[in-house]
Amino acid sequence: MNAPLINFTFDGRALTAKPGQTLAAALLDQGIRLVGRSFKYHRPRGILSAGIEEPNALVTVGSGGREEPNTRATDLYVYEGLNARSQNRWPSLSSDVGGVLSLVSKALPAGFYYKTFFGPPKLWLFYEQFIRRAAGLGPAPTKADPDHYAQRAAFCDVLVVGSGPAGLIAARDAVRAGKKVFLVEQDAELAPSLLRDPAEIEGKPGRTWAGEIATAVRTSGGRVLTRTSASGLWDDQFVCLSEKLIEPGQIPANGFSQRYWHVRAGEVVLATGAIERPLTFANNDLPGVMLSQAVRTYVTRFGVLPGKRVVVATTNDDGYLTARALMAAGAEVVVLDSRPAPAGHSSGVEVHNLAAPVMARGGKRGVKALVATVDGAERSFACDLVAMSGGFTPVVHLHMQAGGKLDWDQAAQAFVPGETRQNVRTVGLAAEPQPAETVGAAGNPKAAFVDFQNDVTVSDLDLAWREGYRSVEHLKRYTTLGMATDQGKTGNMAALDRIARREGITIPEAGLTTFRPPFTPVSMGALAGLATGEHAQPTRHPALYDLHAARNPIWLNAGYWKRPRAYPQGAETLAQAGLREARTVRTAVGMCDVSTLAKFEVQGPDAVQFLERVCQTTVGKLALGRGRYTFMAREDGLVFDDGTVWRLGDQRYLLTSSTGGASRMATWLSYVRGHLCADLKVSVTCVQEHYAAIAVAGPKSAQVMAALTRSEAPRHMSVVESTIAGAPVLLMAASFSGERAFEVHFDASQAEAVWQAIEAEVLATGGTLYGIEAMELLRIEKGHLVVGPDIDGRLTAEELGLGRMVNKAGGWIGQSCLSRPDFADKQRKQLIGLEAIDGKAIPEGSMLVRFVGAEAEGHVTASGLRVLEGGSIALAHLKGGQARHGEEIYAHSPTRRQTVKVRVTSPHFYDPAGERYRD
Amino acid sequence: MTEVSIVELGRGALHQLELWGDPAPTATRIAKALGHALPPAGRAEGDVLRLSPTSWLVSGDMATLAKALGDGGSLTPVGGGLVQIRLSGPGWRSLLMEGSLFDAESADFAADCVATVLIDHVTVTLRVESEASCLAYVPASLADDLLRFWQISAGGLPL
Repeated sequence: MNAPLINFTFDGRALTAKPGQTLAAALLDQGIRLVGRSFKYHRPRGILSAGIEEPNALVTVGSGGREEPNTRATDLYVYEGLNARSQNRWPSLSSDVGGVLSLVSKALPAGFYYKTFFGPPKLWLFYEQFIRRAAGLGPAPTKADPDHYAQRAAFCDVLVVGSGPAGLIAARDAVRAGKKVFLVEQDAELAPSLLRDPAEIEGKPGRTWAGEIATAVRTSGGRVLTRTSASGLWDDQFVCLSEKLIEPGQIPANGFSQRYWHVRAGEVVLATGAIERPLTFANNDLPGVMLSQAVRTYVTRFGVLPGKRVVVATTNDDGYLTARALMAAGAEVVVLDSRPAPAGHSSGVEVHNLAAPVMARGGKRGVKALVATVDGAERSFACDLVAMSGGFTPVVHLHMQAGGKLDWDQAAQAFVPGETRQNVRTVGLAAEPQPAETVGAAGNPKAAFVDFQNDVTVSDLDLAWREGYRSVEHLKRYTTLGMATDQGKTGNMAALDRIARREGITIPEAGLTTFRPPFTPVSMGALAGLATGEHAQPTRHPALYDLHAARNPIWLNAGYWKRPRAYPQGAETLAQAGLREARTVRTAVGMCDVSTLAKFEVQGPDAVQFLERVCQTTVGKLALGRGRYTFMAREDGLVFDDGTVWRLGDQRYLLTSSTGGASRMATWLSYVRGHLCADLKVSVTCVQEHYAAIAVAGPKSAQVMAALTRSEAPRHMSVVESTIAGAPVLLMAASFSGERAFEVHFDASQAEAVWQAIEAEVLATGGTLYGIEAMELLRIEKGHLVVGPDIDGRLTAEELGLGRMVNKAGGWIGQSCLSRPDFADKQRKQLIGLEAIDGKAIPEGSMLVRFVGAEAEGHVTASGLRVLEGGSIALAHLKGGQARHGEEIYAHSPTRRQTVKVRVTSPHFYDPAGERYRD
Repeated sequence: MTEVSIVELGRGALHQLELWGDPAPTATRIAKALGHALPPAGRAEGDVLRLSPTSWLVSGDMATLAKALGDGGSLTPVGGGLVQIRLSGPGWRSLLMEGSLFDAESADFAADCVATVLIDHVTVTLRVESEASCLAYVPASLADDLLRFWQISAGGLPL
């Protein structure tokens, strides 16, 4: 086959790859062995494996926002234009200055940071910049990723993870049983093990057999996903799949680079296979020391011969398959087998039994010789490639995440899946790994690597053990063994073996660390999906949003709502615009969008009884066309929201409450209706979004409303039905500003016409639009409360200064809890006002103290200005505050380093008698 | 790419019907007036769509319904708060799997089936109109956000 070659670069060098080759295969094919530098010691590293377990060959690919560090060269298929760079080296991979660290590795043992960098935190910030440069993986990209990541649900009867022969058989059986099957494979090809070890299955070439099963899965309504890894398994067979739609760094054709699947499966079959274990000997990390099965993969699948003189060092039979594949490809091969020679068996290759590696010799250009003990004697074997096999570790992380247990397989020297808690079963090599011996570490322990990615050596494990780190969990954290993206795929079993040998216990007794998802790295973008940038959270647009946008306001993200904060004129700042708008409301008139208020229509013969349960104020005596301020308590007696209640008909009321608490209030009313008042004949319908609403406030507001409706404006706390710009409206006389004011509620589909009519009249009357900033100034000065900062669910109505309004007849939710003795404590926090003695702004959120350093007795909930007169004021919660009016204390904010002397006052700074409400 | 058409229909004249007390007599009167029973959980019929055990979303002739309702419940306008979006084409079911945890690809989710689900954090009520289309009732404030989500997602649907 003469398919065109693919052009790519590695560290700027132009290279070519054959179609279907991984970056690792292509580099080996080009004779490149040095691929990276190690994390801590900057040791030269090559390619160890042929899959997702690769700890050494980590590269950065792509550019700009598509730059992706720490990509495994063994899990990256070369594409046209691929730009791959090695990591953690300067100035170049072959001449890395950091390599000097390997010469002083004795000074950098396990726990080095903990032992060395003592001192104040600021000093650590100084050290850190050097450490970050000296050690690490690829730097995180700094630009925004331009691509999309999809998130998608899926449902199936059987999810098969892994498409080796065992997984394919499970998929085939499920299809035959009429099941909907999902078959998932992290490789780009199905049945990758059959590419490494071609075989005939059921009388057909293995690949043909695999393809037929995949077709059967698809035609029966299932899916086959390649380049997809199962990253986590949760309760009830809920599995997350991470699918690569393109290769890392590649530009997607349709804008999408990955898809994250949320799959609910009836049954999960884990055919996740096993990862080959390295042998532990000195310099086992040199370029040219590879895992045996990986060597076979490169030879058979990718047509690449990684070395010509090869030593295969094995503890099991699988190594012989590699030896034969190498020989068939023309390599010279010697096998070192840790086991005694079997009687009467000839493998057709030079074999040395009772043999184990002690040390590799070579440098950054690769291994040159392997020193081994053979039947007790030390021998050196010249070679340019070492293929090692220390047995196989079943991939059991999904089984464990599903709450499963592990059993110890003595013959394989490995943990295998045991009891399961969910409908999850493991098949194939993950359940029944090949028998293998465990061979202890040999050679200089300072150069015998257990965890290649985190540069953890046998010596590090021994030191940690000597220093008392006996628990595997502690040892992991002290040495960094199996941390980060590696997750101990190749190193954990060797480490457990070492710990067990030091402790004089068995490996199962040494224990295991926790199997946390993800086993293989998942892009942050995949977890975020389309929720990025300004869409990182849902954005709610009020019905009048487009009209505001045309007036170019300063926006405020109030919860999920996008609300105008102020409408600056010319070069006005936010503060200037807010103050101007507030002053216009105090002296003339202003209009503000209050559509986001929660609104509920409460109807039925028992509507009054329902409302008198929900509201702490009286509702029963409310006359038709009248409204009142109200507040609501939870069952614990503490106030959690407030609003107004209006009687629109004999059995029809409109209840409003806070914007921020709208969802909570909807849930609460549903609960009260369904559980606490199930016997009442009442309906509660949320009309928050059905009604848009505009507040018109100021001494000229009645004049504006009269002009718009051509009738006298209703008196304070009255509601009438009227028409504005041809649209039916509810006109409620209510104030949140301290001025005569109205709320106009109307069908949101009429928003534009009503807004424009009111705006024209307001502007003609010398008024203004105003936003949340002005609203805050106005309401703080008046002492009106906001749910969240002021009404925070921790104070009673009495403590909020609302005691006079409470329905004395009782019956409201929370009443019985107010008899608790603690509520009689007069030293509980109470709502108060504060005025700055020296005129400085009072920091919002600051602590209230008698003197700086004293215990905090409260905090500032909202801070503002006297709108017309100037001077800083605030609302606050203060212990025993209602009896402390006139007292001088301090508002102290250590985080802002501000301290303001304040006087405790009533929270009503403006028109405390409420005379301005009335005409 | 799997084809799907996303058309915003805007707000409509919708009401929420709620029943209180013993619903049976009222439901009987309504069934007589409408010519069919109030649809059960997960179903729609004619102009009526079931929302919750005691509530339905209704469109069309309110006068007949209001008369039949009498004092057995309430009829409240809610249409100003809901934007209707029609999804059609071969990919509409696939699109509904994006950003959700709901099996829109199930054959059981057939014409006149109703489901209230979370899609991209938005509570959406879906009514299958036919095998060719589905109508989504979306809170008006979140419609822009969800439309954007669907328009982007439609470009990356799996085959």
